[in-house]
Amino acid sequence: MTTSLSAQNIVKRYGGVVALSDGNLDVHSGEVLALIGANGSGKSTLTKVINGVVVLDGGQLLLDDKPINFDSPQAAKRMGIGTVFQELSLVPKMTVAENIWLAREPLRSGIFVDAKEIKTRTKNLLHLFEGTYRAAMHSDVPVSTLPPDELQIVEILKAISFNPNIIILDEATASLDNRQVQRLFDLVRQWKADGKAIIFVSHRMEEIFRIADRYTVLRNGKTVDSGDMKDITEKELVNRMVGKDTVYSLSRTDHQEKGEGPKPVRLAVENLQTRVLKGVGLAVHEGELLGLGGLKGQGQRDLLLALFGDIPYEGKVTVNGKEVNFPHPKNAIRESIALVPGDRSREGLLSIRSILENLMLPSWTNYGFPLRMRRSYEDGNRVASDLNLVMRNLSDPVNSLSGGNAQKVIIGKWLLKKPKILLLDDPTKGVDVGTKGEFYRLLQQLCSEGTSIIFHSSDDEELIGLCDRILVMFEGKIRAELAGANITKAKLVAASMGASEESLA
Amino acid sequence: MKLPSSSHLSLRYPYFLSAIIFIVVLLVNFYFQRTILEGNTINNNMRVFLPLVLLTAGQAIVVLTGGIDISVGSIVSIVSALLATRVGLDGTVEQTLTWFGIVLLVGIIAGSINGIFIAYLRLQPIITTYATSFFFGGLALFILPQPGGGIPAEVANIYRTSNPLGLHWAFYVIPLLIMTWVFIRQTRYGRYLFAVGGRAQAAYETAVPVSQVIFSTYVVSGFMAAMAGICITLLTGSGNPQIGDPMTLQAITAVVIGGTAMSGGVGGIAGPIMGALTLGVIKNIISFANIDNWWQTFVNAMIIITALAAPGIIGLFRRNRS
Amino acid sequence: MKKISISPPVAAVLLAVILFIFSGFLPNSFGTNTQVAISQAVNIIRLSVFLGIIAAGQTLVIISGGEGIDLSAGAVVTLSAILTWTIVLGKDERVLPALVVVLLVGALVGLINGAGIIFLKISPFVMTLGMSGVITGLVIIVNHGNAPGRLAPIMTRVIARPLFLGIPGAIIIYVFFAALMWIILERSTFGKNLFAIGVNRVTAKLSGVNVTRMVLATYALAGALAAFGGFMVVGNTQVVFLNLGAPFLFPSIAAVAVGGTLLSGGKGSYFGSMAGALVLILISSVLTTMQMIDAVRQMVLGATLLIIISIYGRQRGFRQ
Repeated sequence: MTTSLSAQNIVKRYGGVVALSDGNLDVHSGEVLALIGANGSGKSTLTKVINGVVVLDGGQLLLDDKPINFDSPQAAKRMGIGTVFQELSLVPKMTVAENIWLAREPLRSGIFVDAKEIKTRTKNLLHLFEGTYRAAMHSDVPVSTLPPDELQIVEILKAISFNPNIIILDEATASLDNRQVQRLFDLVRQWKADGKAIIFVSHRMEEIFRIADRYTVLRNGKTVDSGDMKDITEKELVNRMVGKDTVYSLSRTDHQEKGEGPKPVRLAVENLQTRVLKGVGLAVHEGELLGLGGLKGQGQRDLLLALFGDIPYEGKVTVNGKEVNFPHPKNAIRESIALVPGDRSREGLLSIRSILENLMLPSWTNYGFPLRMRRSYEDGNRVASDLNLVMRNLSDPVNSLSGGNAQKVIIGKWLLKKPKILLLDDPTKGVDVGTKGEFYRLLQQLCSEGTSIIFHSSDDEELIGLCDRILVMFEGKIRAELAGANITKAKLVAASMGASEESLA
Repeated sequence: MKLPSSSHLSLRYPYFLSAIIFIVVLLVNFYFQRTILEGNTINNNMRVFLPLVLLTAGQAIVVLTGGIDISVGSIVSIVSALLATRVGLDGTVEQTLTWFGIVLLVGIIAGSINGIFIAYLRLQPIITTYATSFFFGGLALFILPQPGGGIPAEVANIYRTSNPLGLHWAFYVIPLLIMTWVFIRQTRYGRYLFAVGGRAQAAYETAVPVSQVIFSTYVVSGFMAAMAGICITLLTGSGNPQIGDPMTLQAITAVVIGGTAMSGGVGGIAGPIMGALTLGVIKNIISFANIDNWWQTFVNAMIIITALAAPGIIGLFRRNRS
Repeated sequence: MKKISISPPVAAVLLAVILFIFSGFLPNSFGTNTQVAISQAVNIIRLSVFLGIIAAGQTLVIISGGEGIDLSAGAVVTLSAILTWTIVLGKDERVLPALVVVLLVGALVGLINGAGIIFLKISPFVMTLGMSGVITGLVIIVNHGNAPGRLAPIMTRVIARPLFLGIPGAIIIYVFFAALMWIILERSTFGKNLFAIGVNRVTAKLSGVNVTRMVLATYALAGALAAFGGFMVVGNTQVVFLNLGAPFLFPSIAAVAVGGTLLSGGKGSYFGSMAGALVLILISSVLTTMQMIDAVRQMVLGATLLIIISIYGRQRGFRQ
């Protein structure tokens, strides 16, 4: 049997934010299509349109050349489209078997869920990944007790359990180890041979070149290129993802030359441990821009949150030579530390409140009682114009702003506090190219004024282009420190994958 | 990564703690009232406990899916008011039975109203059922402005004095409830309840009909509230348009004591039923402990709030230890 | 795509005006007699003062988010009224000490509510409902059937009678009270942080707001405000009884909702709640004029809240 799926000129808006303005892709039986794009380019949204999780605002989907319109994820599933979700679609308190067969349980006498049959079928499915998971994982354990890689395996098995014709793998390899990825790819080849069509979404270039037949590149919500994998090199693909306009022209040497000799250490960390961190040590100097790299979820977030006093930790942290242990972020703020968190809407913004209130949130205490509103407006407007914030009025709600401008508000609220140490958790995620440029200049300006910055980014190019020094995290530890001539894409990628020190040298 | 043993225990046996509490209060009750274990006393007690047990079972289903139903007490009141006015003390047995059927339907309709607003209009369960509880409560007062009226004594006596095979009806109803639950658990619908309460978004993405499931729980809750209303009217033999008011919080408390998390996704009805019995026994203790009349309301409320706080206090200790 | 929209508080005021004019056309009402209409309007506003003040604390806890609500408000009103009654004992000089005591007691009750909610993770609805029972129990103990007491003349004069240019004292107090509430909500760090925790507690914490302390303070303040409401109510009714405060509870929540304050938190105003209180008092008065029994009034109130939350309170669907 053969199948084909085509998405044409797809448009999707969330509130006022356009996530996808012109998304296109085609995929056919027996091939693997890599869907590629930087963070926030609209990949996830496009996959969610295809599997019916979100309602599309424009464009159309063709399945086997016939227009289709899903009114629910169920409908997409009935049409044979299966998805391995990036944000897992598992119910934590239910078991592996219950999760895999949820809503499709085999029945006895037409009423009772056939637990025995479910168990057998689950065993058969688990067999596909035999040997790559712990012995403790079996069909009857609640999924809340599983580590991320095994959760991902359950999610994969759940998606393929109903034998779909089109399979979407959305970052399915992100938390898998090498053996598990290998096993998954063996399966993918099997599916190809069976005539299934596969859409493969991944950040890892190496995997894309290993498994994909064709590619489609998304940039800022538009499909900008498609073609055969064999006709393109990794470098060309990256160029298409980032576009020509993002040349990281900022050179770090300029700003290094200004520093005469080593500056004093502002923040030092020794043997920092949390539930995720397994002993991290680092030092940031005055006016230094320290990069924090590595794959997603290797402890970068925990490190920044711990330094900011949001989560408890063990270990020694000194600020300006004085040992500290902040019980609450407000204590960190008092020591002139600021954090731009990773999840903008959930951790950084007060969505329905005004831009002014978002900017002023940490600073209200400086405006007396009753609050001097005129002064706060003046300060707010000053920061807004410093940051080039595109807005109508400070009293508009912050969710009327675009992603990049909203991020400026979050940074702006800390600029008002004139931080000495700025912690950034992937601040350019989903930010448009122009704003990124402004943002890089801002960081360099802050450094030249003496601010110390720890800058985590999931965008390797950004780290390479901006940072004096990069620490690469892997599984809760710092795997490598790259500085000067050692800062290369190859070394960064190798260290991210957990390559040993020797192979990095 | 190993889970701390206590939380593992409570995950596996959510009723463990509630069983211990139940046994403790039973022992305390025994201290004050030595006749507690005699057949007669047990039958008398169960007859009083049954309405709350029924109400709690319905509430437990709603809580299991992550909701809450504040309106159950006022549905009980409507039923009591309806039976007392439509059947009356001098009504016939046939009339009574007919009206039993009608009030069950009323309970289902009341639950459906809650369900439509919550599942389909997507309003917050707490505030929605709080609003409807006020509406239903008004309706009960409209039907029966003052306590009074009732159902024929011959029907009420079936509930009050007959003990088939030496056991009160409650001894047949409660196992039946639990068996029904065991039956439901093994159906797809049963799985849906847990999935919706565990993570509604994931359930939705997995093709579980989330809205229908949520709707159904409020219908079940309304039906069970009507059952409770019938039982309490049988018990008292008379009508009272505000008889259900204090029962809502008791039912919620029973669910909490029964080890079902208010956040949904875990538990069942056996624990909450045990919770309802526990509350009943506690009431017994209060009335046998010779507590000053002026203090009874206060003591009762303190026990409720302590019971509500118990899981939180245990949680605090757990966090401090780890 | 621009819609012509009026803010909920303004809508509530308009609704109040319409209801008032409508009530004039009912039989036995003021009709076209402006003199009577004005005195009727003043009386309605005066009656809305008590509900408005009790709705103040409710407004704060609802804005604080996390399904915030205070169901102990009615019981606190009764407790505070009875405490005032028994402390004052007819002496003017004991009014101020009595006020201080009831405010402290109210704050303590609120603090316990807040502690249960933030430390023991009990849902605000259940926690405050439970507290309501406890306080009612306390009231029964304090009142002991019928506690001896009496109001001081000064309370009656200031609260229940016209004070200045024929304007009832209660309304004058209400104006100052409203100004204070406005400053708390809109012109203080506390107010700004309150809205912040109502919208997003994670963001608030990561911006240095001590969420735990804010929640405790908000419930404590709400308790004190409800107690102040009880003090005012007893000044008006001049008698105390066990069921004095309970009838205010549901309308106080409905008033906040009618005023456009989001029941999910983070957005709202006290001006809205005041307008909401006015609307609810008017609905009650219209129903009274139409000679409806209490039961109908209760049903109408319930339906009003249901309609209001259907308009303002929809949650996000599963599918976007």
